[in-house]
This record gives sequence, C-alpha cells and structure tokens, in this order.
Amino acid sequence: MTQDFYRPGTSLIHRWNPVTTLSLSLTLVVTAFASQALWLPAALLVFVVFPAALVSGVFRRLLAWLARFLLPVILLLFVIQGLYHQDGPLLDLGPVGVHLDGVLFATRTALRLLVLTGAFLLLLFTTHPGELMTALVAHGMPPKISYLVSATMQIVPAFRQRAHSILDAQRARGLRTAAGPIGRVRALVPLVGPLVLGALSEVDERAVAMEARAFGATTRRTSYTVIADSAAQRVSRWSMLVITIAVIVLSATGVIR
Amino acid sequence: MRPAAKIAAGTVVVLATYVYLVLERPGASGTGALVALAGYLLGSVLIGLGAVDRLSTSSVTLIPVAMAINIVVGQLALATGIPLYLDSIGIVIAGVLAGPAAGAATGVLTCVIWGLTANPTIMPFAVTAAEIGVAAGLIGMLGGFRKPWWAALAGLLTGVVSALVSAPISAFVYGGVTTSAGTTAITGAFQAYGASLFAATTLQGLLSDPLDKTVTFTVAFVILLALPARFRQRFAFARRYRVFATGVGSEGR
Amino acid sequence: MIRLESLSYRYAETPTTVLRQISLTIPKGQLVGVVGPSGAGKTTLAQVMSGFIPHVFGGEVTGAVTVAGRSVRNTPLPLLVSDIGLVSQNPFNQLSGAKFSVAEELAFGLENLGVPRGEMVSRVDETLRRLRIAHLAERSPYQLSGGQQQLVAIGSMMVMRPGVLVLDEPTSQLDPAGSGLVFDALGELRERGVTVVLIEHKLEQLAEVADRILALVDGELRMDGPPSTVLAADELADWGIGRTRFTAAAVAAATHWPCGRPLPVTLAEAAAGFAEGAP
Repeated sequence: MTQDFYRPGTSLIHRWNPVTTLSLSLTLVVTAFASQALWLPAALLVFVVFPAALVSGVFRRLLAWLARFLLPVILLLFVIQGLYHQDGPLLDLGPVGVHLDGVLFATRTALRLLVLTGAFLLLLFTTHPGELMTALVAHGMPPKISYLVSATMQIVPAFRQRAHSILDAQRARGLRTAAGPIGRVRALVPLVGPLVLGALSEVDERAVAMEARAFGATTRRTSYTVIADSAAQRVSRWSMLVITIAVIVLSATGVIR
Repeated sequence: MRPAAKIAAGTVVVLATYVYLVLERPGASGTGALVALAGYLLGSVLIGLGAVDRLSTSSVTLIPVAMAINIVVGQLALATGIPLYLDSIGIVIAGVLAGPAAGAATGVLTCVIWGLTANPTIMPFAVTAAEIGVAAGLIGMLGGFRKPWWAALAGLLTGVVSALVSAPISAFVYGGVTTSAGTTAITGAFQAYGASLFAATTLQGLLSDPLDKTVTFTVAFVILLALPARFRQRFAFARRYRVFATGVGSEGR
Repeated sequence: MIRLESLSYRYAETPTTVLRQISLTIPKGQLVGVVGPSGAGKTTLAQVMSGFIPHVFGGEVTGAVTVAGRSVRNTPLPLLVSDIGLVSQNPFNQLSGAKFSVAEELAFGLENLGVPRGEMVSRVDETLRRLRIAHLAERSPYQLSGGQQQLVAIGSMMVMRPGVLVLDEPTSQLDPAGSGLVFDALGELRERGVTVVLIEHKLEQLAEVADRILALVDGELRMDGPPSTVLAADELADWGIGRTRFTAAAVAAATHWPCGRPLPVTLAEAAAGFAEGAP
C-alpha cells in the first residue's frame, strides 16, 4: 500500500532544490483555496500543475493517481451535494432534484482537491524524501523531525513484512480469517499483539544506537550531503512566500472573493 | 520555554480557527476553506515543532516505532475490512509512555508520513491526530491508564473531541465527502434533514469516532499492560506521573 | 581505560541480579574477548562498559565504573559516548533510519558531532574501503543482507574513531571471509591504541586476535587471563561455552598430544604440538 512515489529523473524540476518544489506546492494549494472563482483552481491545474508534470515526465502517472485518489470522492461529491443542497432545484426529478448551488459547490471543491492532491503528487514524484528532509534541515528544520520522518518511512516496510509472516504463520496453524466484524477483530488480536510487542521491545536497542552516534549531542551539526541551490531559486522561493501571504491576507480581508 | 510557547501558540491558532469557523459560519466555498486549511496547517506545524524540541532521545526513538505501528495496524484493519480505523494505536502508546508532546509529535508526523507514502489527501487531518496524542498523554498523567474502564471511557471522550476537531476539515476542505460511501451517505442524510454541511460532518464524526477511539484506547491499554514493567518504567514521563498501576504487568513487584 | 570495581547490576523492577561483584581493569590498547553462555550477562556487561547502563536503561548499579578516565555515573551521556563506541547485536536496529544510503549512514555520527565536511568525506571513504563495502556506498542500508548491515553498523562506529570500542557479537551474520575482515580491522585498531572489548562465540578467531579473555557465567567473572589458558580450560565445556576445534582435537587425540603440554587454542599451537607428539 505504501508507494514509492519518487522515481529518479533529470528534468528541471527533478534538479530543483526540494524546498523550491515544496514552496510551489504550498503556494498552489493556498491559492486554490483562496477564492470562490471556479476559474482560479482550474487555471492553476491547467497552466501550472499539468505543464510542470509534463516537463518532469510524470504526467501520465499524475493523472492515474489523481483518478485513483479522487475519482470516487468527486463522484460522491456531485451526487450528494448536487442532490441535497438547500436552494431551489435546477432540475426537478420528483423526489430528488439537481441544484445549481450544489453543482457549483461540488465543482469548486473538486477542482480544489485536484490542485491540493496534484501539487503534492508533483512534489512526491520528483523529490526523494531523504533529500527533501536534508534540504529542510539545511533550511532550519530540527534534525529530529528529519530523523523521525526518514526512520519511520524505512521501518514500515520491514514491519509490514513481519505482519505478513505472522499472518502466514497463523494461517498455517489453521487460524481462519473469520467472518463477521467481531470475528475479524478477534482474528486481528493474535496478529497485532506479537507485532506491536516485538516492535516496542526494539526501542531500547535503537535508543542506544542513536546515543552511541552522538544523536543527543548539542554541537552544531554539519551535513555530508550537499543539496544544490541557486540564487534564482532563492528569489523564486521568497516571491512564492510573499504571494502566499498576500493571498491569505487578501482573502481573509475579503478583497478576493 | 520556547518549545512550550510554540505548542501554546499552535494550540491557540487551532482553537481560534475552530471558534472562528463555528461563530462566523463562513460559506464552505469562500474564506472557510482557506481559514480551515491554513489555520490547521500552521497550528499543527507549530505544535509539531514545539513538541519535537521537548523530546529526549529515548522518546525520539520510540516515535518512529509508534508511527510504524499506526500505519501497519491501520492497514491491517483496512485489509480485514472491519468498520474501524485503528490507525492511532501507536499515537496513544507514545502519548501514554512519553507524554503529551511525544503523542502530539507522533500524531502530526504520522499524517505527514502517511501523506508522503500512501495518500496525500490525509495530511489536512494532522491536527486531529495531534489532539489524540495530547489527550492520551494528559489521560495518562491523570491516571486514566491504571484501570481498563477508565482507559475505555477516556477513549470515548477523546473520540468526541476528535469528531469536533475534524469536522471543519471534512466540511470545508472535502465538502463532506470521504472515500467511504457509508460515511458520505450519512453526512448527506443529515444535510437532507436540514443540517448545515458543518453540522452534518460534526454529527457524522460523532457517530464513528468515539467508537473507534474507545476500541483504540482499550487495545493500547492491553498492549501496554503486556509490556515488561522494566520497559514501561524506562520513560521519565511514565515514572514521574506514575502512569501505570504498580504491581501490574509481567514483571511487577 | 576501563575499570570496574565490585560492580553489581540489577534492572529496574526485576528481582534478579544480572552482574555480580565484577572487578577488572582493561588498559589502553588491549583487545579483550568476552565469552560466556547465553544469559550470562555479556550484553549487560557491554552496556555497562559503554556507559549506557545506567544512563539509558536505569536500574540499580553498585560499585564503580570508570571508562576513559571518567566516572560513568557522574558524567553526562553525550560527553561519555563521545569517546566510546558500542556495536550491539541486531544490525537492523543499529541503522539510524535517518539516512537513505550507506555512505550517508556512515556519516551520520560525524554529522552529529559537527565534523567538517571535508574530513567527514575522507573518513567515510576510508571506512568504506577498509570494510570492503565501497560498492554498497549508494545502496539503501535497508536493502542489504544481515551480514552487510553488520559491516555498516561496525563501520558507523569505527568512522567516529572512539578510544574505546565495545562490540556485542558483531560477526554473527557474517561469512568466514566477512568476519575475518572484521577481526583484522579490530586488530589494526588495537595497534592504533584503541581499547577493544569483543563479545564473540567464534573462539578460534578470538584466540588469534585477543590479548585476553574474560569468561562470564551467571553474571560472575569466572576466569580472566590470556587466551591460551582461558580457552584451553576444561571448565569451558561445562559452562556451555564450548572449546576451539584445536583444543577439541587435542583432547580427542590425547595419545598423540605430548604429555604435560598445554592444550592448543590456535592452529599454530596445534600444529606444533602434534608435530612434537608424532612418533
């Protein structure tokens, strides 16, 4: 279920400093949610997210994953909001009716969700998570956070493998994956117990290994990996920050509607 | 006390966002969405940063393991098809053993990692996960993990708060729709009876979250009970607030 | 370099004493092997000698422990570990998780100490070459075999150049070539004045490289001496530690072993003895 979203590449966006790509994603999301106008998120999608995906060679994957995450949500959104909105119906079909307000609302939410998810998928497709963390630490994020995120991402696959082997062992012993919700909860207990207890019992050894490698030291840290950056990228990051703040202020004060 | 100030500021931002959304009742189309998203994002970033600052190395190494537990058990629950999420057991364990800050950090980062590796649409709910971690820590401090029924009751209350906290995200960011057709239909039904979208997502949350968190807290209680006393007592937080009943556990004296 | 004075230890919330009244002094630059059956307290001893008991594990320590001239009890852990390295048993749990390549994983400790980048790169390269894992430098540490992970775990301590290095069964998942590499590297460290404490089951290799052997049984230090006496002792088999192939061969072929000659623990000693005993 966990995806390795990232694939190595050589495109312009792949070569960007990860913080630049992250800034772009956040700016896109905030802007998409700032205004009621339908054209704004649509324009961001068509003129920024999609071209960026094309440039970095991830367009088809982006569409596939957007469909996977959002298609069911968007369909439900139209059904529920289209039918249940408060004002007079656009189209009267006896007991149910299609409401203009609801359709507008559903369209707006759908476009925003497409920008939200698309912007983040773009980041994940083009940025190695380790490099994102290293770059964020270089920009002042506490190294502990980088450690927490990276370590979890690397432990999860190992734990999942253990869960599968426990599951297999229990199936081999004839434990059936029982029917009915209560039966299934009960089947989960002998699986979750050993997994969680085993995992927690390793915490001590991990703590020792981290201390032995001076993780608790208070000295100023240095970095082995150097992440490329450029003056142009620094300028664009600052501009995106200014745009984001401006958009939030203008929207909150009602200048943008 | 800079870390504490960050946590306090983050909590204030989250509460202010919530109060604004409740009092002003902005349309879900306009400012409501941006305020909900930006306020909760800023709040969870502040809480996450402040919480991590406070952690000792032992607590820091507990957290990735706790997060892996959340993710793997959550996926198992999903795969078994039971009607519970069970994706916050690790958050509760971290909060009870190492305190509210560790719980909050585990919650926020679980959402971030889940977003980075499986499904980016989950990230706006980071605040709810932080709330669960803080609640678990506070409940541990008050002795709620000394008896199973207290833990279950605490889970129920935490679930009520979770439902309230996540309702604005469900309403203003997702338009009341989730990937589950069942919960979406319930939200829609409440709206059909005249509830506003915000009220409908709140009511829907109140139907599912308390049950899920009751089960989660009970499972976490059982797991913590099964741990060797020597391990539980390794955490300064658990020792200082005497989180666990003495004389219970596999190696208790 | 390491000094224990009537040390006893008990984990928190447990009634059993894991280590009892252990006194010993290990001078700088000595390579000491520790042998003992499982459950004898070897891992606990390693954690005491590296300062993690009582700092990380808590529990009740009586007696005094001095490592690298510092009293373990009165020195804060970050200061203490700056000159002590510990390689524990399970390599998977020793990977930091913070890093996505072997080279970065080796550099992790140096980053935390604030070592300048230029020096960091040269130390990492040297360690990669020394342990012959340069071809793995860009691989993910989590996609390596257990043995390769063990080499990375050892390398990530060696790269920090501690004055005292404690290793808890560091070659359990390595093939003979791999463990030979590790033993050679440890021998080199000793030549450079590093104090090495090595918990190990591979008695033949230990006999070749160690200056001294400690036999730990039921939390007590039962024997302490050069490999030729400790590893040849009859009691070792009774304690469940076993004996080297060479000792076993000399015992089995007692008629060919010169009367009164001490039992062999290395290939050279065995060869010399059997040559003398041959008719």
